[in-house]
Amino acid sequence: MGGQGLKRTPLQEYTERLRREFDWITIVQTLVSYGMLFVFLLAPLASLVGRAFLFGGEFSLAWFVDILGSPEYVSFSSRGGRMFEVVRGTMYLWGYDHGILLNSLIVALSVTILCSVIGVVVAMLMGRYNFRGKNVFKVIILIPLLATPFINAFVIGKMFNPRGGLLNYIFFDLLHLLPWRVDIDGLVGLIVAQTLSYYPIVYLNVLASLNNIDPSLEEMAENLGARGLRLFRTITLPLFLPGLMAGAIITFIFSLEDLGAPIGFIGARANPLAKKVASYQIYSNFAEALAGGISPKTIALALIILLTTVVSYFIVKRITALRSYAMLSKGGRWSPRLRTPAWWIQAAIALSMLVLVLFAAMPQIGTFLLATTDWATSGTLPKHLTSEYFVSLSTNPDVLMAITNSLVYSLIAVFIMVIVGSSISYIVAKRDIPGRTVLDALATLPVAIPGVSLAVGYFLFFSSGWFRGSLFDPLVDPAILLIFAYSIRRLPFMTRSVFAGLQQMDKSMEEASMNLGASRVSTFIHIVLPLIVSHVIGGAILSFVYSMAEVSTSVTLGALREDRMPITFFISQMVYGLAAVGSVSIGAALCVMLMTVQITAMAISNYVLKQKVSFLGV
Amino acid sequence: MVEVKLEGITKKFGDVTAAGDVNLTIDDGEFFTLLGPSGCGKTTTMRIIAGLEYPDAGKVIFDDKDVTQLPSFKRNTGMVFQNYALWPHMKVSDNIAYGLNVRKTPKNEIKRIVEETLELVQLGGLGDRFPSQLSGGQQQRVALARVLVINPAVLLLDEPLSNLDAKLRVEMREEIKDLQKKLGITTIYVTHDQEEAMTISDRIAVQNLGIVRQVGTPHEIYNYPVDIFIATFIGRGTILEGQVRAVDDKARVMVSGKIICGVDTSSNLSDGDAAMCVMRPENFSLEDPGDAANVLEGTVEWAAFIGPYKEVKLNVEGRTVLVDVPPETPTGIGNKLRVYIPHSETIVLSKGEIA
Repeated sequence: MGGQGLKRTPLQEYTERLRREFDWITIVQTLVSYGMLFVFLLAPLASLVGRAFLFGGEFSLAWFVDILGSPEYVSFSSRGGRMFEVVRGTMYLWGYDHGILLNSLIVALSVTILCSVIGVVVAMLMGRYNFRGKNVFKVIILIPLLATPFINAFVIGKMFNPRGGLLNYIFFDLLHLLPWRVDIDGLVGLIVAQTLSYYPIVYLNVLASLNNIDPSLEEMAENLGARGLRLFRTITLPLFLPGLMAGAIITFIFSLEDLGAPIGFIGARANPLAKKVASYQIYSNFAEALAGGISPKTIALALIILLTTVVSYFIVKRITALRSYAMLSKGGRWSPRLRTPAWWIQAAIALSMLVLVLFAAMPQIGTFLLATTDWATSGTLPKHLTSEYFVSLSTNPDVLMAITNSLVYSLIAVFIMVIVGSSISYIVAKRDIPGRTVLDALATLPVAIPGVSLAVGYFLFFSSGWFRGSLFDPLVDPAILLIFAYSIRRLPFMTRSVFAGLQQMDKSMEEASMNLGASRVSTFIHIVLPLIVSHVIGGAILSFVYSMAEVSTSVTLGALREDRMPITFFISQMVYGLAAVGSVSIGAALCVMLMTVQITAMAISNYVLKQKVSFLGV
Repeated sequence: MVEVKLEGITKKFGDVTAAGDVNLTIDDGEFFTLLGPSGCGKTTTMRIIAGLEYPDAGKVIFDDKDVTQLPSFKRNTGMVFQNYALWPHMKVSDNIAYGLNVRKTPKNEIKRIVEETLELVQLGGLGDRFPSQLSGGQQQRVALARVLVINPAVLLLDEPLSNLDAKLRVEMREEIKDLQKKLGITTIYVTHDQEEAMTISDRIAVQNLGIVRQVGTPHEIYNYPVDIFIATFIGRGTILEGQVRAVDDKARVMVSGKIICGVDTSSNLSDGDAAMCVMRPENFSLEDPGDAANVLEGTVEWAAFIGPYKEVKLNVEGRTVLVDVPPETPTGIGNKLRVYIPHSETIVLSKGEIA
């Protein structure tokens, strides 16, 4: 019988396939996803790129040549600063100024290396040893992940102040453990503040990788005679390396785009060296935006930062994809390799963990002290408790406005992310349409994009051309742009969570429904959504928390109109000291509120939805 | 109930042919089985009938209506998945009612049908449970009930018993067969288990590497396999290789200096061909059956007591022949045995590749 006469041409087949795949729900999902990613991600970035290469109306590399050639940005010899200098009983640790761009890279690399070392050590201790109090450490080790934008760096600056800083008081004046007071500030200050905040990211990624290693792989190596460092070097390290790289690249990106530490340090110490990083320079240029736009040099700087993060992100993603070994004996439950060492080793581990955790939790503890006592003005130690700062949260009209704004922005952003994020994940996980892989890449891209660069792109794209003077124009009203900035920046949290849910769902779940006569739309509503609803809610909670605590676009775009300011911009103003002395405590109180929201959200995620909070990673 | 026709169905996944020019006609009300080793394309063929996969070429026809391009939800087929695909977020009754809800059946009607169907599959009273609270066999019944309520034109069963233990498997296949007879529904069944296929089917299509090798009743497939793949895939047997000397009413094959006579079931042998004689162990006897029979003589190499019979490996001039003998037969290693197999029960096939 004739198979021949029934053959269709490849083109016919292709159009037939497209016709089958594109029912209306798929069309809507695809259009909405691409539309949002195009208008609020690609177009602004494109105008950032376009403008950075524009000089006198023509294509030119002038601004880049200018930046790379000017010692203000790149200088191989030191332009100032102090390092290991002891002057009148104080050791100064500030770092040397090598120009804005090099400073940024040096800080980001240092933070990445320090976080990697600490993260790996802690992950090995937590992942391979039993010791007393481990369960407590498991929780408190995550404290640095609690959002205390600006205030964390402010606290560190205050602690290391040679004049009355608490740490100097304890270790020099009280215990005489140090031969001099220590002054940590400037670039080193940024490194310390960022390392303490970000090492848990590396730790979590490495731990997840470690727990995913089939114990029999290490046991086999031991069986063949490898032990200790050799075992670690030849088996364990290569197997958790993808996790380490994932954590490290996120740390690098976070450090490069961070505004919290520079602003916090300047609030605490007013040392201009803390300003000499790219993120801060871009931020401070936004103040001029109201008057006459952003300078072309700033645009070029934003693009350089953007390219650095995006390129390194995709290189690392590529390498980790190649190095992610699927463990062969998947699915089976295995008991992890946990050793219970002698009591004195246990004690040593617990003690060093305690020191680390105390040190790392210092910003959060300090924030709490600032919010609940008079510590901001009392000197070395707080003198008395006060509730005035918390009270001001509900009485100060500016604070109330900032809280309301952030709530409104974040809630609308979450709504957008639920729609767009679920659509993207569904298309990527379950549908076979052209452009699927592009959609996947675009939805992951925001992880690699520095908020300050995105803010510059938004400003350029929406304050000119068609959008000039419209509600999208940040000079008219930044609210809509902030909502979309949050939606884009936090989208990966949403898509990752939903995608995980969809991958757990066998395709026969949908097929059974369609086989019984339900259309794709009806199947999506009655079968798919109920099966992934906990993942959608989990993603929504996470996105909400991180939208409320968003810094980069909030303090740049959010600065453009006072009645539209979000919480984080308000906190930055309090820390910066533009307001009255002691106002930093109001910022701290706001941070305590943010932390409470965050803890509540994580608890709901963990205990109600039974979802592991998804970590930041590649 | 419909007649299902596949015309020239072809489907490739990359370089792998899952269906190669499959032509089948499944009669109205027939219990039809697609049988083959794993990866032979039988599941793909079924998914093409269900509309979950679309062929690269060929047509799917339900009662003269071409449904090749029709999406699954417009075909009215009822598919039972290998993993049952019960929706974990719905109660048993909601799972079963799903197809009726989609069809906008009135609420009280739905309630009645669901109750009836639960009784039919012996799950009365379990409607309020969730799938996770049921045993494997019960889940299987829910999956069956879920497609039966919509009165499907064709019932599609994709290895439905493979997740059950051996005893339950036998019970369930009898139940399915009874149900199918009672409802008279055209049924297509996919399995790799030849015993299951033999006991349950009206007709069987044996598929290998995407190609349908033979279609026939269990009796035909077992006794008259058309090629060596089917002869070896189905049932036990010994193969003796030789060369065809003559083909008339019987095929005469020279096997190591001795002529063996048998039936040319594929009717494509000619003189001089390399051929294979297939002998089923249960067709041997210890006494001369009277009519024309091949006689083999050898020594016992190995023997196992099975119960109703003994399985014996006989060494016949260096070749091993598998023979069933009555359990009381003395079968010490080295014992001499002479066995007979009728010409009519010896199958002669051309020496094709055993794929």
